[in-house]
Amino acid sequence: MPKVVFISANGGQRWQVDAPVGASLMQVAIDAGLDMEGACEGQMACSTCHVIVDEAFYDRLAEPSEDEEDMHDLAAGVCATSRLACQIILRAEDEGLTVRLPAQSHSMLGF
Amino acid sequence: MSASRVYLDYNASAPIRPPVIDAVADALRLGGNPSSVHHEGRRLRGLIEKARQAVADLVGAAPEEVFFTSGGTEANNWALRAADRPALVSAIEHASVLEPARARLAGIIPVSRDGLVEEEAAVRQLAAAGAPVVLSVMLANNETGVIQPVRRLAELGHEHGALVHCDAVQAAGKMAVDFAALGVDMMSLSAHKLGGPPGVGALIIRAGLDLPALLLGGGQERRRRAGTEAAATIIGFGVAAELAGEGLARLAPLADWRDWMEYHLKLAAPGVRFFGARAPRLGNSSAILMPGVSAQTQLMALDLEGLALSAGAACSSGKVAASAVLRAMGADADEAANTLRFSMGWNSARSDVERFVEAWCVLYDRLAQP
Amino acid sequence: MTQSANIKRPVYLDYQATTPLDPRVLEAMMPFLTDKFGNPHSTSHSYGWEAAAAVERARGQVAELIGAAPEEIIFTSGATESNNLAIKGAARFYRARRDHLVTVVSEHKCVRESCAALEREGFRVTILPVNAGGLIELDQLAEALDEHTLLVSVMAVNNEIGVIQPLADIGRLCREKRVFFHTDAAQAAGKIPLDVRAMAIDMMSLSGHKIYGPKGVGALFVGHRPRVRLEPLISGGGQEAGLRSGTLAPHQVVGLGEACVLAGGEMADEAARLEALFDHFHAGLTAGLPDVVLNGDAGARFKGNLNYSFPGVDGEMLLARLRDLAVSSGAACASASGESSYVLEALGVAPGLAQASLRIGLGRFTTRAEVDYALETLIREVRELRANHA
Repeated sequence: MPKVVFISANGGQRWQVDAPVGASLMQVAIDAGLDMEGACEGQMACSTCHVIVDEAFYDRLAEPSEDEEDMHDLAAGVCATSRLACQIILRAEDEGLTVRLPAQSHSMLGF
Repeated sequence: MSASRVYLDYNASAPIRPPVIDAVADALRLGGNPSSVHHEGRRLRGLIEKARQAVADLVGAAPEEVFFTSGGTEANNWALRAADRPALVSAIEHASVLEPARARLAGIIPVSRDGLVEEEAAVRQLAAAGAPVVLSVMLANNETGVIQPVRRLAELGHEHGALVHCDAVQAAGKMAVDFAALGVDMMSLSAHKLGGPPGVGALIIRAGLDLPALLLGGGQERRRRAGTEAAATIIGFGVAAELAGEGLARLAPLADWRDWMEYHLKLAAPGVRFFGARAPRLGNSSAILMPGVSAQTQLMALDLEGLALSAGAACSSGKVAASAVLRAMGADADEAANTLRFSMGWNSARSDVERFVEAWCVLYDRLAQP
Repeated sequence: MTQSANIKRPVYLDYQATTPLDPRVLEAMMPFLTDKFGNPHSTSHSYGWEAAAAVERARGQVAELIGAAPEEIIFTSGATESNNLAIKGAARFYRARRDHLVTVVSEHKCVRESCAALEREGFRVTILPVNAGGLIELDQLAEALDEHTLLVSVMAVNNEIGVIQPLADIGRLCREKRVFFHTDAAQAAGKIPLDVRAMAIDMMSLSGHKIYGPKGVGALFVGHRPRVRLEPLISGGGQEAGLRSGTLAPHQVVGLGEACVLAGGEMADEAARLEALFDHFHAGLTAGLPDVVLNGDAGARFKGNLNYSFPGVDGEMLLARLRDLAVSSGAACASASGESSYVLEALGVAPGLAQASLRIGLGRFTTRAEVDYALETLIREVRELRANHA
């Protein structure tokens, strides 16, 4: 089972979590009790699962779909290595995948 | 404008004054003559400088302090970004000040329930900043019309080594503005707020302040703002500035009409509230809370009656965003969501206000909870 | 002797500096200056909705000219701003991952200065030379690209000499290396066919007043696939997908849209007409003044731009004698500051010869009679100047 690492927005906290292959990174975060909303449950309608992927891992992930890119437009604090965690499906080679939680998030669902 | 429609959203955009339309159209046509592009180019250059003088005169600045931009938003961005310092801004600033400020924020100065910047908080934050900041406080607010004590705040800012910027986009043409007397270092203006064409504004930069350019390239605007000048719209801005200056006195009755309107609404609806009414305000503006009824519902109903108003700021894509200005004044989410923006201008008539009062009261009777 | 009686003097031959506003464009703009004055961002009343609809229609018109989707078009205050935004905006967004930019010595000042500003912020900038014809060498470009390169910026049609860079080849190379390709197409859009997909272009700058539209408006194409992200230069209300805040001027934007429609529709016919005028002028000039030099590649060029050097002549004196012809010495922007043409210098044109150069621009309203008049006048004045100094 690959281990993935979550880092808090201010860098003060780290969580190392065992992640089942085939699970989405968002599900892993929620199951681990992290502060990630996942308001739309992975339908790419909210952007609350926005994470910033560590440089070293960004290029190894499969490219985002155009729909995901559209949602990035709407997420707060988007930067060059932003992804939606609900779209990252974990593989064995994602061992050590490290992501940072953004400083703020707002749900596009309107509530 | 058709006789049956009433426009009460001047703070979003004012209808273009007819002489301005003529001036812009003439200037566009001048640029349409292939054989005289160069010759007419000189004439247009002369008219641009005439416009510069007119804008300078409107706000009590020198023409060499006036730099044309593509609008108020660009002017605000230029001032805040090029200042190259952390930004200390009031809580009620326009998004075009808040957003660039967020890139390097020193602090946000709270306002009172009446919408006035809290001087003590400003001083505290200036002192706490550590390094010199760029202080930005608008002269008049777009939603409430509240007028800030900018001269006093500029003094305080300078005492702490700050560069001081003032967004005068809503104030110019609605009240007397004196750049020199205000004592600020930079001031933003927008043409379409005073009956000029959209797509042009200005940043007034105090002589002697060497503010770097935001847009780089050609040497236009004395190397401070690159890009071929939109002669026709600049010329229109100049004509609008002249007319706005001359017409300031004629706007005096608007405050009476506004007060009359507020008085009658209060009679009909004791729960009504006017945000910022106890502070010095522009005479053309009122932020009107109808308790229990969303602004969207009010606007749709009023639109059916031929009345055009707005709520919140006329910016965000699609949605009517909750008013940060009203929240900063202590309104709760519901109150902010139930407040309309009413604003008059150069082409408003007393009958516009009477129609509004009638329609609003009917709406209140129909929809508002007792 | 040409029938010069019907020709309006001075004859306008400076279409690269600016173009006259086409009356059809003015007609399209006027309603938005008069009764349709709404702020397109006012969503609460019909004045606003009308203005917003017109803006979106114009967006589609600009997109169609270059083969883009409407949502990939952002309106700006002109090509200068578009270039500033494209280059500085992309660089600052991707700074953490890439820090190298590539451009060309013959680019417009706003591109050169934006790159210089980024250099001061810590970016590495490679400036490619051009060959004697004014074109870049593709192998030099390939060599310049490394894993840190973010962006290549190459002007499509050069404003001083009219040469057309090999856009599709540059695009293919950049796409292979996963580098963004930006092109300043101010002089190209509406004049040569452009297709952002076929040419793998990621960002493109357009200018209204270069294609018979109004001054003070332009556009930037920002590709969605691959997605290009930018740090905005002008932020605030979030307009233009958050990339360029500020109240849009419907009359300006409608003017740009109409200009694009007209240019696109007339492009093929106009290209043929200009080519015929170019060939006639060039043949006549070289016959009358055999040692005159056409600057820039003769083949890969937009035929509306003719930049010639006249050996043995003082450029300023020549310009002074051409009162009846509105032409330019060097680029309009450069001459405002009195600098000599760095573009001609990049071609290897000696300073003396560069000084003795004129840029002649043909455009939509240029007639055959005007071209003949210009030809006559130019040949006569050059011969006289040379005779006086013999």
